[in-house]
Amino acid sequence: MIEIRELRKTYVGQDGGLVEALHDVDLDVRPNEFLTVLGPSGCGKTTLLKCVAGLIPWDDGDILIDGTPVRGPGPDRSMVFQNFALLPWATVLDNVAFGLRMRGVGRAEREERARVLIKKVGLAGFETKRPGELSGGMQQRVGLARALAVQPQVLLMDEPFGAVDEQTRRLLQEELLSIWEEHRLTVVFITHSMEEAVLLGDRVVLMSARPGQIAEIVPVPLERPRSSDVGALERSGQYVEITAYLWDRLRDMHEEHRPAKAAG
Amino acid sequence: MSALAQRRGHSARARGRLSWRSLPAAPVSLGAAAAAWELVGQVANASFFPPLTTVLGRLVDMASSGLIFSSLRDSLINLLLGFAISLFGGLAIGVAMGRYRKVEAALGVYVYALLTAPSLVFAPIFFSLLGEGRGSIVAVVVMYSMFVMIINTASAIQGVPAHLPEMARSYGAGEGQVLLRVLLPAAAPMIMAGVRLGVGRAVTGMINGEMFIAVVGLGRVVTQAGGRFDSASVLAVLLVIIAVALGAVALVQAVDRRITRWVPKTARGDR
Repeated sequence: MIEIRELRKTYVGQDGGLVEALHDVDLDVRPNEFLTVLGPSGCGKTTLLKCVAGLIPWDDGDILIDGTPVRGPGPDRSMVFQNFALLPWATVLDNVAFGLRMRGVGRAEREERARVLIKKVGLAGFETKRPGELSGGMQQRVGLARALAVQPQVLLMDEPFGAVDEQTRRLLQEELLSIWEEHRLTVVFITHSMEEAVLLGDRVVLMSARPGQIAEIVPVPLERPRSSDVGALERSGQYVEITAYLWDRLRDMHEEHRPAKAAG
Repeated sequence: MSALAQRRGHSARARGRLSWRSLPAAPVSLGAAAAAWELVGQVANASFFPPLTTVLGRLVDMASSGLIFSSLRDSLINLLLGFAISLFGGLAIGVAMGRYRKVEAALGVYVYALLTAPSLVFAPIFFSLLGEGRGSIVAVVVMYSMFVMIINTASAIQGVPAHLPEMARSYGAGEGQVLLRVLLPAAAPMIMAGVRLGVGRAVTGMINGEMFIAVVGLGRVVTQAGGRFDSASVLAVLLVIIAVALGAVALVQAVDRRITRWVPKTARGDR
């Protein structure tokens, strides 16, 4: 489905030196897979996602989607942003329909499709509200509906629930799971939370920083569907084991980059 | 909406007793200024500072002779033409400078130089290039009002958070769509702030242009009255000019309110 081959990306850091954001990243995302990407901050996970989205260029390597090289943004992919990226002057309806509008879908059709998605994410009745009148959780529902409205094959999510409170985050995770169980899109989901990575993902891609590269890919053999009883899942031995293992690995990565005094 | 409800609550509470809170600020301020003008004018009894009633009387004379209306029409046409050119140029150059670093690097120095340069310095050049007709005055209006709008528009475009155009691009938006559907609406509140400044400066430019270059419009009336040491006429025309300026600003504010209705919460004082 998505093939990433020896991807390299270097940029000039704030001190003028070169930062290797991605170093020979090789990754296959399977069709209809829910892949989560976990790593410390600065490991290049957002950079990787934006490359796949076609939003930023890379230096070397290839990204193929169903065998076609990525050259820029395309209708097969849509993105959900960490800070929602909603248009503050536009209504919920116009925000959800925005992607369709950019792709030249006529008003009647795009509003009809937008209304269906608004209902799906639980925002029926809020069509004429503006983002400023909504809570963070509701704003990200708008962001999710906008991404789904263009009917992508691949959903790229950049720490989408990082900016909402814990309770809202859990609700959104459950809803994302049930939407995914229904539509079976291919999802690449960036997160810095071990729990979130395990709860949602079929596999967890663990990235390390400086240079950004893939440290390990951890399969998550938890049963699906998971949306029905997230609580029971979180108490299961397998879930606890995998999150504990991921934390061990992440802590090692943090230790490596810590000042020397912490070593003793 | 809550501010409105709160204000309504205030006035309801204050209705029983006389409270300074219940007095509308703008009319009170204007009334006080008018009374002070009249009083000082009467007491001083100086020819260069006639009281308000004398000035208003002169205004009525000028209006009934038709002099004020024909001059006002000339002036307003100059103002409209000059401001329209400034608005169009201000938006186009401002957007280009805000969006493209190269354009900013190339034009920035001229824009800042011309913003701070005293605009009337260019009057003789316009005069020789465009003659003593409308063209020169319109050019002066543009010199006065365009650069502040360019700079505000450029800053407004640069201030749009990067994730919005990025989001639009991710949905396949081209550069034109990014500008029209994302950058301009996002920058609108700050662009409008520049337009308000631009309107005020356009009125100044119109009067200065009329007084110094071509003797037409309200500027001519002021120049002639000034030559006669006729302070009442000068001040009467000044009142008309202030009315024109306030009217123009009110018009822009009405447009501004329509465009920026979405701005969620502001620090605008509600006390």
